[in-house]
Amino acid sequence: MSAWSLAWRTVTHNPARACLAIGGVAVIGALLFNMLLLSRGLLLSFRDLLDTAGYDVRVLANEGSPIHRVPLAGAPSLAEEIGRLPSVRRVALIRTDSAVAMPPGRDGDAVIVTLIGSTERQLGGAWDIVKGATLPDEVRPGEPVPLVVSTKLAARQRLEPGAPLRIRVNLGGGASVLPALDCRVVGIGTFTFESADDYSVATTMQGFAAARGAPKGEDEADLVLVASSPEAGPEAAGKAIAALRPDVRVYSNAQVVEQFNARAFSYFRQISTVLSTITLAFAFLLVATLLTMSVNQRLGEVAALRALGFPRRRIAANLLCESALLVGVGGLAALPLGGVLAIVLDRILRAMPGVPERLHFFVFEMDMVLLHAALLTATGILAALYPIWLAARLPIAATLRKEIVS
Amino acid sequence: MFRSLPARAALATVSLIVALVAAVAAASSSPAQLPEILLSRQLAEQAAVRPGDTVTIAAEADGAGARQFRVAGIYEPTPDPVRFTSRRIEARLHLPDLLAITATPGDPSSTESVRAINVKLADPAQADAFATAVTARFPGVISRLTARAQDGSDPFAVLERFHLAVAIVTVIGSTAFLLALMVMRAEERREIVGIVRLIGVSQRFVLLVVLAEGLLIAAAGAIFGVLVAKGAEDGVNRFFQWRYDTTLVFVRVTARIALQSIALAVPLGVLAGLVGSWTLLRRDIVSLVRR
Repeated sequence: MSAWSLAWRTVTHNPARACLAIGGVAVIGALLFNMLLLSRGLLLSFRDLLDTAGYDVRVLANEGSPIHRVPLAGAPSLAEEIGRLPSVRRVALIRTDSAVAMPPGRDGDAVIVTLIGSTERQLGGAWDIVKGATLPDEVRPGEPVPLVVSTKLAARQRLEPGAPLRIRVNLGGGASVLPALDCRVVGIGTFTFESADDYSVATTMQGFAAARGAPKGEDEADLVLVASSPEAGPEAAGKAIAALRPDVRVYSNAQVVEQFNARAFSYFRQISTVLSTITLAFAFLLVATLLTMSVNQRLGEVAALRALGFPRRRIAANLLCESALLVGVGGLAALPLGGVLAIVLDRILRAMPGVPERLHFFVFEMDMVLLHAALLTATGILAALYPIWLAARLPIAATLRKEIVS
Repeated sequence: MFRSLPARAALATVSLIVALVAAVAAASSSPAQLPEILLSRQLAEQAAVRPGDTVTIAAEADGAGARQFRVAGIYEPTPDPVRFTSRRIEARLHLPDLLAITATPGDPSSTESVRAINVKLADPAQADAFATAVTARFPGVISRLTARAQDGSDPFAVLERFHLAVAIVTVIGSTAFLLALMVMRAEERREIVGIVRLIGVSQRFVLLVVLAEGLLIAAAGAIFGVLVAKGAEDGVNRFFQWRYDTTLVFVRVTARIALQSIALAVPLGVLAGLVGSWTLLRRDIVSLVRR
């Protein structure tokens, strides 16, 4: 009989015990799997969010950071200069501010929104039109400012394409109150970076300037988005922009992700490390204790096998297989269980204010499945070491005698 | 406590507390006459500045409009759980001094502008009514309570729910572990229970013994767990405080949490013991003593 068959018989001899042990490993393994997904989930999801916008380089004012942005002066001329670089395919200016949106005659429905001004008619991926049209190329004098509103805002304020909407910008730090600007909804879209507690509204740069009380336009932008040419790539484009204008900061998407990883996301990474370590220690204790107790209960059986000529190696292989069965089956069950648990935990964490609705804390990755398997395998082997040592050093005659006398 | 913001996206610059990511450089002229400034410990360490030193501060990166200040003291920033991952490079100065640095030349209103006004109400119960009144009287001004939102939407309530969910999963895993152990332990004592039953000890008495034993083990385990947590508390806090250079307390094992853990662990332990033993007690005596 092979070591596997013997281990199988031992495990199935007491199904209740085996089920409980496997259940314990499965639950702990699911938690471990979740923590592994959490360790990189935010990064992957954030990277994905950045990439969907189609721009791979971000240009910011020197004083700010990707998190706290300071308006960039002379942005249109900067965009023009950047656009002329051979390594650059497309350039867009982005400006954001806080505003109050209210349908005319329904002041009670007023809500605070994030107003986005952009030189792009539609930022594919950043906002996608689901109803109506994109922002027009040009707005004739006297026409209302065109807006694309988020589906959430449209639902809340019962807006349809063509509906009028008044926007009043809250100038940060200013004591003055700007008059509300008459606008018209041209489209309704989904905004990638919109959080659960936020409403987004996009308009043209001219519309944005008008809302801020500067109908002739502003020369500032919070951000210059750059799409590098496929031949050059973001690194080369970034270097070219930095060489062109040393007074600005240039970040590729990878660098932005790195910055967020070092600051904003580090808490979840560390929490995941701490909990992964605890769950591994717990799994180790669980399997080691169960196997040790199992060996202690079967000392006579082990001694008899040894007396029959079973070598120590065979006994060790048997215990190792037993451990592998418990951890292997439990670990396999942990994957679907962990998947369900990840959905629940992700839903909890995404309720955090300011988190974009499309950002996920738990993202499935094949590498993490492999790491999960490797960690559980190592745990199973380590957990089997002590019971193997116990079984291997067993004095055969004394144990058999004790077993018979008892 | 109350906070009125002209814009929701206003930066975290609040009344006299000013976060200036500005050039701080040691200088050496007429310190006695200079206005005073307080620097955060992190900024003082980074700039190698001590109380009594003179520093130059400008709101612009190119140093335009720079002014000199005398460092009156170094302070430890109030730990802020929302910003614990960022370095607290901050300075506090008198509001007129700040406005003098940040004001736009030719714009008189810029010397009268602040990002936020903190208000302490005489009657905190009137906070909602006050917020409504401010919003109605000053369109564009947003009033926000400084107290935690009660609807469970603030980041700490979300983190609390996350930790609770993780704790529940851990408890489920532990219970399975405990049950497996108790089943094995009961199995180990199969013969003893059989003999005890054979000499006339009632099933109820054996169950009571198991119950008492389970209670003792569970209580001892729960207390040990609380002691381990209490022992690890300092280590965890020290690690994270070192990692993020903050005085924020990350883990606190309070009496309430300890009691909650014991209240959860003891019944679970006893239950696991009972379930494990029940598999033996429901069997007939002969099957227990059979080898």
